[in-house]
Amino acid sequence: MRAEELKGHLDAMLLAALEGGPQHGYAVIEALRQSTGGRLDLPTGTIYPALRRLEQAGLITGSWSVVGGRRRREYRLTPAGDRALSGRRADWRDFSAMMTAALEGRPCPSPA
Amino acid sequence: MPESRLITSYLAILAAQLPASIVEELADGLTETHRSYLRQGLAPDLAAQSAVAEFGEPQMIVAGFARVNPARRAARRLLGIGPAVGACWIAVLLTSRSWALPLPARMLAGATLAAVIALLATSALGKRYRLAARTGAAGFLGVIALDASLIAGVALAGVPLTWVLAVAMAASAARICYAARALRPALAG
Repeated sequence: MRAEELKGHLDAMLLAALEGGPQHGYAVIEALRQSTGGRLDLPTGTIYPALRRLEQAGLITGSWSVVGGRRRREYRLTPAGDRALSGRRADWRDFSAMMTAALEGRPCPSPA
Repeated sequence: MPESRLITSYLAILAAQLPASIVEELADGLTETHRSYLRQGLAPDLAAQSAVAEFGEPQMIVAGFARVNPARRAARRLLGIGPAVGACWIAVLLTSRSWALPLPARMLAGATLAAVIALLATSALGKRYRLAARTGAAGFLGVIALDASLIAGVALAGVPLTWVLAVAMAASAARICYAARALRPALAG
């Protein structure tokens, strides 16, 4: 999946990657790679500005630690981020069901 | 510590345009990426090339951080609320006859206001992180100076307190607080 196809979905994917606990940038990228079965084709350097954007929005919070002599920034979900992730999941399920119905001619289930 | 000349050069490009704290975070991620390729058995130079290629073009990363620059966002907000605060003070000038500034002071205030707007606009539209942060910081200082001068001016002139003046002073005080909060991250940039 290419970067332009991810527009609008990257934030939710990053929030989901942080759902299991605090992660630093590289670990977030690895988590995304694993969760997408390696199909994520995104310059990994672009993840970092996205993490800062989520931090400014109050959805995640970042803190510094020192690992192996290097300073490392770890991110964790805030309660607002947790709520935002739940909302994005529900929206995605509705959207996905609607698109499946439209593209494959299946009946559209009523929203939950 | 970066482990190859290629990675050092890559980080130097980023360091020339981004704050040290951001570069530190990117260096950590890039070093981890490099080590991951080394663990997969790639030769050090090839591992460094693969890590840099995976990270993406430096200018794309710089542009990404420029979009989330807190100084740029604060400058946009200050430009957005500027007309409302300005309208409050114009209302004070129109309703208070005891506060008439001499012409040189009016010209100085006008020139300062124009300079502050230009600085904030440069920051708000800035695609270069450091330029946006520095012009933003100068603009925030200008906002603080303008608002503090207005509040001090009416206090020294003994302008009678009306609800219009109270609203204008509260708006300026709130704007001083916001600009002061925005100043620290902008100076760090």
